[in-house]
Parts: sequence; structure tokens; C-alpha cells
Amino acid sequence: MQSLDWLLLFRAPYGERVVDAVLTTLELSLISWAFALIIGVVAGLSREAPAGAVRVVAAGFVETFRNVPLLVQLFFIYFVLPRILPLPLRQLLFHLGWEFVSAVITLSLYTGAKVAEHVRSGLNTVGLGVRHAAMSTGLTWLAAQRYVVGPLVLRTIVPGLTSEFVTVFKSSSLAMTIGVVETSYLTQQLGLQTFHWVEASTIGTLVYLLCAWSVAGFMSVVERFTYVPGLLRRGAAP
Amino acid sequence: MTGFVNDLGALIGALVVFNLSLTAAAVAIALPIACLFAVARLSRRPLVYYPVTAYVNVLRSSPLLMIMFWAYYTGPMITGTPTSAYTAALVALAAFEVAYFTELVRAGLQSIASGQRDAALAVGLRPSQAMRLVILPQALRRMLPSLISQSIIAFQDSTIASVIGVSDIFATTNIISAREQRPIELYTALAVIFFILCYALSKLVRTIEARVNARTAGAS
Repeated sequence: MQSLDWLLLFRAPYGERVVDAVLTTLELSLISWAFALIIGVVAGLSREAPAGAVRVVAAGFVETFRNVPLLVQLFFIYFVLPRILPLPLRQLLFHLGWEFVSAVITLSLYTGAKVAEHVRSGLNTVGLGVRHAAMSTGLTWLAAQRYVVGPLVLRTIVPGLTSEFVTVFKSSSLAMTIGVVETSYLTQQLGLQTFHWVEASTIGTLVYLLCAWSVAGFMSVVERFTYVPGLLRRGAAP
Repeated sequence: MTGFVNDLGALIGALVVFNLSLTAAAVAIALPIACLFAVARLSRRPLVYYPVTAYVNVLRSSPLLMIMFWAYYTGPMITGTPTSAYTAALVALAAFEVAYFTELVRAGLQSIASGQRDAALAVGLRPSQAMRLVILPQALRRMLPSLISQSIIAFQDSTIASVIGVSDIFATTNIISAREQRPIELYTALAVIFFILCYALSKLVRTIEARVNARTAGAS
């Protein structure tokens, strides 16, 4: 085994590439998470919508994205979606960085489906009473979701959301397979080009660990500020 | 038409030989280790508790892909013994699932009332026997739905082995898709195969869950 050379990661040409790759991981994960939250809340609340068609579509969406591996979804959206466009538009799409955009689309939908399941179990926690009470004050179903049920559900599922938020960063590593130059992509490139595998995989792993721990820390603060009085807090059980 | 049948055969073959075998072996290796680790997670001895807790935390915070890199590239580089992609993928998947199973089994252990332990000790069992013969079997039965759900996720994750060069169903699809220039049909077929298997398994989990709940509700 060759001797370790940790400074390699900071020297040209790799230093700049490491920073770029880490920033790409952050961008990819945070943008996808923002979309996933919106998709998840809408799809989750729609599981109990008054219109049957809405319920069916929401259930179909959640089951599809939960039962197909993320890698398959990624390739499906990356390769198959552009095929419905005429060739010039397709070329434009790839020119504009379709790798990144399709990774964002896939991660948002995949994570959104998982968030939707948390929202649905949050609906059970909040209970039918609250929902009926909201409707009985004369709010429409949509208004009841917007002003009463939605905010309450979101506050009860913060612990579940924490693990999904961490998972987005981990899932974003798969974007390397369609050519997004993020942390995992760079780790493999560094290793294959320099054979300094120990340094490459250590820095790669550390990036993901730091992301996960930061998210966990951030979300525990969110949890403290959003817990619903009267509901069990984490750590309250023996 | 025969081409289509052959291709479908190749996909199913790769699914059985690589994805299913990888998942089954990883789960079989991970579960016993996870039971030990789960007990360790409840231990009062810091030398037992902290290393296992650190292991679980680190493995659960890293992407499986990164663990596969360690198992396929970095590990063999350090030890100087090359590993096949399949072995590396198996080691990585098993190590990854140990972390997830540990937390599930631990939650199961904690859900078994302490009265069970007291009763087991009162009839003269040693603490290790009480754990092995009384608490662990009940915990595993209660956590069975979650353990199967996690195994379904492991099955989906087994496609990641294709990144380090295992010729699993995903790698096979890529090859056929490139050869035939038919990504729409092939990736749709791949998605449908996974959907049918995972959806059926998740329905099975619901059935078991209902049965376990009925039994525990009757017992208490």
C-alpha cells in the first residue's frame, strides 16, 4: 500500500473539485428536500380527501415510488422522460444539465412519497375528532387542511421527517450513476485516478456524516419549538 | 418475440442469482449480529454500549454506496487481498443492515414489559437465559413486520451493487437497453418487476402486522 497523502485532497487540481462536489451534494439534497416536503404534505393529506379520484391518484403515487428502487426511478426519469420530447428540445435539455434536474425530480418524488406516509400516520395521531371539529366550524375541507389539520400534522411528525431529511443526503449519492459530479462521484474518481482510496473514501464518508449530524442537530431544535403541548415528547416514555 | 422472452429471462435470472441471493444472504448474516448489538445497545457497560452505538450511528448516516466503496476499493487496498464485487456488495449490504436491524430489535426488546424479565429471573433463569429464551423471541415476533419491511428496502437497495460491477438485474437492464436502444420498454419492465414483488411483500407485511397486533392485544 502506498503512503497516505491527506494533503492531496486540498491541492490542485483536486481541492477545487472536492469543494464543488460537496456543494453539489448540498444543493441537490436541499432543493430536493424542499420539493419533497411540499409533495409529501399534499400527497399525504390527499390520501383522505373527500374526492375518491384524488385519493386513488395519491395512493397510486405513493405506492409506485415506494415499491420501485430509487436507482430504477432515477434511470427511468433520466432516460425515458426526455424521449417524449422532440429531438431538438431533448438536446437542449441535455445541454442545460438534465443530469442535475432529473436527479432533483427523482429525489423529490421518491422522498415526497415517503414524507406522504409520515403525513398519513400523522393524520392518525391527530385523530378524527380534530378534523371533524375543524369542518364543523364551517371550514371547507381544503381550508380545514390548510389552517387546522396540516399544521398540526406537520408538528406531530417532526421526528419522522428528521430521518427522511437525513436520508435525502444519503440518497443523493445515487445521482453519480447518471453523471452528476457530487461527493460519491468525486470519491470514486479520486480513488480511480490516484489510488489514494483511503483518503478519498474517508473524506467522502465524512461529508455525509457531517451532513447527517448537522441535519439531526437542526431538526432537534425544530422539534423543541414545534412539539404539540399535550402530546408525548420524545424521551417522555420510560 | 423470442428476443423479448430471452431478455426477460436474463432479467429474472439476474434478479434471482444476484439481487435475491444478495438480499437473503445479507439478511441472514445481519439478523444474528443485530440481536447481539441490540442487547449491547441496552447494556450499562460503556465499553459495550459506546462502540456499538457509534457503529449504528455512523452506518445509518452513510450512504450504502459509500459503504460499498469501502468494501470493494478501500478495504482490499488496506489488506492487500482483492475482493470480488459480489463479496464486497454482500459485506457492505450486511454491515448496513446490521445497523438498521439493531435499532428495530432494540425497539422490540424495549417494548417487552420488564415484568417478563422479572418473571424469568424469578423462575431461576440467568439474565442471559432470560434474554435469549424469554425476551428476544417475543421481541423478534413483535418486530417481524418491521424486519420484513426493512428487508424489502434491502432488496431494493441491492440494485446499488451494480455500481461496483455486480451484474445484477439493474446492470443487465442497462446492457440490454443499450444494445436494443429501447430504454422505455426495458426500464418500464424493470420498474414493473420490482413493483409487483415489493407491493406483494408489503401487503404480506400488513397481514402479519394485523395478526401480531391481534395476538398482543389478546395477550395483554
